[in-house]
Amino acid sequence: MTTNTQITRTSNLPKIIHYAKEFLFWFVLIATFLFSIFPLYWMFITSLKPRTDVEMTPPTFMPFVDYQPTLDNYVDVFLKDRAGAGFAEADQEATRKISEFPTTLTNSVIITTVTTILAVLMGTLAAYAFSRFQIKGEADMRFFILSTRMLPPVVVLIPVFLMFNQPGELVNNALQNIPISFIQAFGESIKDFSLRNSYIGITLLYITFGLPFVVWMMKGFFDEIPKEYEEAAMMDGYSRLEAIWKIVLPEAFPAMLATSVFVVITAWNEFVFVLLLNRDNATTVPPFLFSILGYGQVEWGRTAATSVLFLIPIIVFTFLARNHLLRGVTFGAVRR
Amino acid sequence: MVNSGLTQNNQLDKEHSGDKPLRVRFRWLTDNRMSFLFLSPTMLLLLFIAIFPLIWSLRLSFTDWSVIGDAGKIPEPVGFHSYGTALGLGETRTEKRVGVEVAERFAITGQFVLPTVIIELLLGFGLAMLLNRKFLGRGLLMTVMLIPMMLTPVIVALYWKYMLRTDIGVINYLIHDIFGGPRIDWLNQIKIAIWALVLADVWMWTPFMMLISLAGLSAVPKYLYEAADVDQASAWFKFRHITLPMVTPLLLIAVLFRTMDAYRLFDQAWVLTGGGPGGSTEVMSFYLYLVAFKDFETGLASAIGYIMLIVIIALANLLIRKINEIADEG
Amino acid sequence: MAEVKIKNLSKRFNLDSPLAVDGVNLDIADGEFLVLLGPSGCGKTTTLRCIAGLETQTEGEIYIGDQLVNGLPAGERDIAFVFQFYALYPHLSAYDNVAFPLRAQNLQKDEVDQRVQQVAKLLRIEKILKRRPTGLPSGEQQRIALGRAIIRRPQVFLMDEPLTNLDAALRTDMRVELKHLQADMATTMIYVTHDQTEALSMAHRIAIMNLGVLQQVGTPLEVYNHPATLFVAGFIGTPPMNLINCHLNGSNSLSDESGAFTISISEIQNLKSKIQNPNAPLMFGVRSEDISVDTAEGAGEVRGEVIVREPLGDETIYEVEIGQNIIRVKTEPTLILNTGDNVGLNFAHDRIHIFDAESQKAIKF
Repeated sequence: MTTNTQITRTSNLPKIIHYAKEFLFWFVLIATFLFSIFPLYWMFITSLKPRTDVEMTPPTFMPFVDYQPTLDNYVDVFLKDRAGAGFAEADQEATRKISEFPTTLTNSVIITTVTTILAVLMGTLAAYAFSRFQIKGEADMRFFILSTRMLPPVVVLIPVFLMFNQPGELVNNALQNIPISFIQAFGESIKDFSLRNSYIGITLLYITFGLPFVVWMMKGFFDEIPKEYEEAAMMDGYSRLEAIWKIVLPEAFPAMLATSVFVVITAWNEFVFVLLLNRDNATTVPPFLFSILGYGQVEWGRTAATSVLFLIPIIVFTFLARNHLLRGVTFGAVRR
Repeated sequence: MVNSGLTQNNQLDKEHSGDKPLRVRFRWLTDNRMSFLFLSPTMLLLLFIAIFPLIWSLRLSFTDWSVIGDAGKIPEPVGFHSYGTALGLGETRTEKRVGVEVAERFAITGQFVLPTVIIELLLGFGLAMLLNRKFLGRGLLMTVMLIPMMLTPVIVALYWKYMLRTDIGVINYLIHDIFGGPRIDWLNQIKIAIWALVLADVWMWTPFMMLISLAGLSAVPKYLYEAADVDQASAWFKFRHITLPMVTPLLLIAVLFRTMDAYRLFDQAWVLTGGGPGGSTEVMSFYLYLVAFKDFETGLASAIGYIMLIVIIALANLLIRKINEIADEG
Repeated sequence: MAEVKIKNLSKRFNLDSPLAVDGVNLDIADGEFLVLLGPSGCGKTTTLRCIAGLETQTEGEIYIGDQLVNGLPAGERDIAFVFQFYALYPHLSAYDNVAFPLRAQNLQKDEVDQRVQQVAKLLRIEKILKRRPTGLPSGEQQRIALGRAIIRRPQVFLMDEPLTNLDAALRTDMRVELKHLQADMATTMIYVTHDQTEALSMAHRIAIMNLGVLQQVGTPLEVYNHPATLFVAGFIGTPPMNLINCHLNGSNSLSDESGAFTISISEIQNLKSKIQNPNAPLMFGVRSEDISVDTAEGAGEVRGEVIVREPLGDETIYEVEIGQNIIRVKTEPTLILNTGDNVGLNFAHDRIHIFDAESQKAIKF
């Protein structure tokens, strides 16, 4: 019987360790999951809370159980602040003005879309050239492109502000030194041109932010597409341009989509530059969100609803591109 | 047999019409021209919007120009004066105060960057070690963990501000009412406010560290562990001599990225704490913004910007050298 | 239908790198099947890519037919190229892959279809035309790649190790098939490979390259029986030719340094007159099938000890140690020797080779 007890003894302890490990594993797993998801959950249920529930202590956790969810906050998103008291009355409700949310959201969409299309297009072409052609000083150029991403944005904020403020004047000052009258006149005519409060200025800026990323990522993808594809097409009587169009781009398209997600997110989320440069016009949602924080009492329900509306595209993007994202956030350092 | 179909089929060469290839279209677009055409838009834009401003601000950093008062004036050169002031070599009282402030803000930045990156690294790597296996819902967890780092920083900060409130914040409710801890005044106490920034950043970016660690861990070849098992190596030995050396290069890259990002943190400081209380969360980016666009000391701000730049380049180089060293050894 | 002339072709990839192709001259006749053979990195693929127009040569001229094609884009040279990894477009079906070259010519849809069907029938890929190449077995991918090459009826086929990625059995089949295909179409073919079996079995002529230099051009039997350089002698044939460092010993024999290997060459009358310097280092070469074993005591031109036996079924190869040298001998499978046996070896004197060890060139006699 000694052998028997020995067997039970030796097989029981590992079993306990095994269960303890399993327990620890699932505990950590669930805790991590909850920690990640909780702020999002909290934002979502806050956006559904009636005004009275938002600031309640103890807070309520479960819609339908703790409180009756309402879409009032979502209606509020599109309306300006209620001035003073008595906001419950119907006639006042009707006279409230439309908020800046629709405008800023439209701006966000326009700026992000144009930025993404141009940045991905330009970056893809540059990446193709880097991948396929022997270019003098290629390593230096690539380092230069990458280094622009290392800059703390605030450092370039000052000169960009100055440059965007009155680029026309800068050019004019230079042109006035040329003693030719029509050139001077041309300088005068563009003197007041400004890139502040304009779609063009902020879009150019966001393209610049996105480009290093696109070039870096797309070069990685092109390096993985065999150059024999183009060579085969070129043997068959196509020019390189046609080969790119017919063979390389269809192959690279999924990669371009994955890359574009990052450009979208950079442009969509940017705050400082648009806050400083586009205070009066062509403003996007992040500064608007910050502005409704206001002073004193914050309407958390409405803020939550605005945030949810603004975050939906990002969450959808994250979901769609989830398999490419890790490679993206590490600039391709992690290969999948 | 293999060739039966071929020997009997002679119609191809009989019909050989020898259709001459057409002239290739876009013949003028030689490879050289194409590479120039493809590269120039990107290079030009980067030159104008990233490099040109940088050179301009270098020039401004040697002047005492102010965007508000001196618009239209030719900037007055003052040499290294602004740099001296920023580094605490100033003579007047205000200049000395600036020097003290810059040093303080660098310290604050360090107090934010260091704990943030270390906590994220340890937590992320630890989680990855635990979760490095196949389990139900792994894909879902990975996707959920990707979300925080994609979110708009302003909104993240807004939401942590709401959750960290002393009176109605859900965090304090959990700490105080559920677990019986003290109510913490996260945002209004000098020693604590910086930790609110750390907390929000850890929430956003720990998943990033975890996902990179997981990628690194799953790339370690299984046979190494099997070989160690054959040699009856301890778990610690396997971790120390197999796991760690294999994932370190990737982790260092992640640390590099996180350090660079944490160093330039702005949005969260602006929204979550507003630099307060008492300037205790004014990280460098935030301070620079104030000098440039509140005090309108453009020259001084440019100089501080350059000091920031030099510090981060030095730091990044140090890390990159370390990464290359390890890569060379491996 | 065209001959290809290569004159003094050189290619250098970077200014400071050595020549990848070094002054190659080669005339390929109309309808000829020429194989460029050599180890990896010998410049054979670079030569092929220069002919194709995928690389620009540093020096030299290439003619296809009567036309000088230097500087002509690949698409205008009227040639087809089959790549080692096939380079089939993964987003197009097999049909579209095969039709791709015709579409560049703006042909009518009917004609494209008719010709694709014809090629598909010829290559027996009718059933897979609708499928995408990814996921198809490599043999079928290979056929699609061939289809794309032959459909335009080019003047010259260029193939870069097209059979390397097939498994052994399929490779043997495709070898036969390709040979027939080329014979039927009577189109000039330049075929690059590192596999001497492929070269010997398919080529009309083989051009052997090493370190960018063309070593010898000749029919398979020529290069096998009369290798022009030491490199060719060592590269062609399995097992490779036995090569022994030796020198002229008097006027009647050759021996190695220790003298353990000495062989009479008295019947080779004019060998001595071919060698300028009687003390020059030489290389004696003999193929393993040109050696016979004599087990009788004290018999044979040289004697040595059997050290390794490799039975291959239809033949057996013995390694025999003679002094410092090891000679491999191919024998009938019925001859059984044991390691340690002392045996005599006789050489077929009309089939031995002598090389100048310095210039590496064969001394003809």
